[in-house]
Amino acid sequence: MRCVLVCSYTYAKKFSFSASRIKIKEYRAEFTEDCNECGKCVEQCFYGALEMVK
Amino acid sequence: MSFAGKILRVDLTNRKINKYDADLAKDYIGGFGLCAKLACDLIKSEVTPLSPLNPLIIGAGALVGTNAPATSRIYAFTKLPANGAIGWGGGGGVTFACNLKFAGYDAVIIEGKADRPVFIRIEGDDIDICDAEDIWGLGINETCEKIWEECGEGGILAVGQAGENLVRFSMVYIDRLSTVGRGGIGAVMGSKNLKALFVRGSGSVEVKDRKRFDKAVKELLERMKSYPYLKEWQELGLLKSLPAIPRDVYLKLRKRRIACVSCPIGDKDVLELDGGEIYTTSAVNLMTPAVMGMNYKDAMRLTAKLDDYGMDMFEFLGILSFARELSEKGKLELDGEIDFTSLDSMLFWAKKIAFREGTGDLLANGFAEMEKKFGVKPKSVVKGMRAYATPKGPLIWNLFGTMELGQILDPRGPHVAAGGSPTYFAKRPPESFRKHLARMGIPDEKIGEILSGGIKIGKLLCYSHIWFTVLASLGICARAQINRFYSADICAELYSAATGIEMSKNQLLDKAREIWRMLKLANFRAGFTREDDLPPEDWFDDGFRDYVTGEPLTKEDVERMMDEYYREMGLGEFMRG
Repeated sequence: MRCVLVCSYTYAKKFSFSASRIKIKEYRAEFTEDCNECGKCVEQCFYGALEMVK
Repeated sequence: MSFAGKILRVDLTNRKINKYDADLAKDYIGGFGLCAKLACDLIKSEVTPLSPLNPLIIGAGALVGTNAPATSRIYAFTKLPANGAIGWGGGGGVTFACNLKFAGYDAVIIEGKADRPVFIRIEGDDIDICDAEDIWGLGINETCEKIWEECGEGGILAVGQAGENLVRFSMVYIDRLSTVGRGGIGAVMGSKNLKALFVRGSGSVEVKDRKRFDKAVKELLERMKSYPYLKEWQELGLLKSLPAIPRDVYLKLRKRRIACVSCPIGDKDVLELDGGEIYTTSAVNLMTPAVMGMNYKDAMRLTAKLDDYGMDMFEFLGILSFARELSEKGKLELDGEIDFTSLDSMLFWAKKIAFREGTGDLLANGFAEMEKKFGVKPKSVVKGMRAYATPKGPLIWNLFGTMELGQILDPRGPHVAAGGSPTYFAKRPPESFRKHLARMGIPDEKIGEILSGGIKIGKLLCYSHIWFTVLASLGICARAQINRFYSADICAELYSAATGIEMSKNQLLDKAREIWRMLKLANFRAGFTREDDLPPEDWFDDGFRDYVTGEPLTKEDVERMMDEYYREMGLGEFMRG
């Protein structure tokens, strides 16, 4: 869930589950409407679970 | 700053909840250090482990909640039912540790005893002592599922039937994936009628100096990403070092790998067997009974059941060996056969012990009580617990390194953790340790002393314990796969940047030494002397060997290492021979 931490840290300036624009539900990633597809979460994912789709 | 700022205190007897400032965290680094201080202050020497007056103190480290890699650990301190030591258990915090910090708490102190089964629900300032009648009696899996169903997403610490029934080797489980063991911490929760803690954190953690913190984290992550064995570790975890089953068999069984919140490697598993899912802290643990001659599928079935009861598998197997020995000597009449190769036999005994049925009631009291009752000294038992590393045990590590010496000198009793020192890996040439020891913050002249004429295991263990205390107080995982990327310098830099408390490497190491000494001395004052640290006699009958030369080791050799350790740790005057 490093993706969740970096998202909140980038946009809310703090580490938080609730302030993140990416949520992990039942092992699946979901994105809130605020997500601007910056790709920070992809950079932080060590497992290859996320990728940017152009 | 990265501290949550508050300590929560729950009195179950009077159903009172208090919160106070966690200023103490700043004096004791945080996490492990903070909880150690609270434990030494709050655990009275006359209090017995299962008394309502024995507190349970749970805390998360100074970096927990941030994205510094693998900073998700949780520690629980209490007086241990297995031996009466002021001890602790630690585990990968999965989502619990992070949620605790986000809920606003660096630590939780639980005191007293509820008048009926309860679980504690923590959601920021909203804290409830909830009825747990409907989950009392359930295993770990169902307990977690029911709490998640009722409370939604969040972290859970729970006990199974073994904890409820005060089994002296019951453990606490985190999100059903990780364990807080050993020593019977589950029984402390059981004695309080406390089935579980649920925590959801909707708050946050901040760092003081973002630029400085980001730079240190970025460098760490880059090194991790470029590490050539990263993928293999992610894929196999501990199986990479301890291949308990062939890789293809494991991969066929594995459904999913799970990591603690901030971990870039991950080592928890969900496996599929018999059409159901098994949640486990490590596939290696799951396969351990196979070493005793059981086929691997039955080994998995057994460990999964023990995990569901919330019971320490190593101690379970150890106590059954002792029971069989007593039975062969005609001292104990058993309810049934003990056959380590038979799943039916092992499940029979697991149930007997977890529910304290028949002879199981006696075995559930653990080694210390059994020894007292029968007047027979169990093999390889230290401070009332079976040592993990024994020369003839199921895991054969017969070279005597810090892990082995740590079994006797750890104030809480034998444990698998050796503080991330390099002697985890037997037979490595001592010179290859130099880099690792420098990372641990050991001064050059001390490294020279440690590596002169072989390895000075006692001296090295002192610095391993200090290094472990640093990692644990920050919340960093001490596993070799993680701690190899950290150094004392990086820890000091991250701590200073995250908390705003400027801390040099040496200041951090000095504080860590002070914390470890405090724990050892608190136990000394409670009656644990050099005598209790002595190695079991059976370790030397065709037993342990020198780590470097492979020559047989004598008890006197180990006592010399003990003295070396005490002197280096500044405990010589208390623990002298």
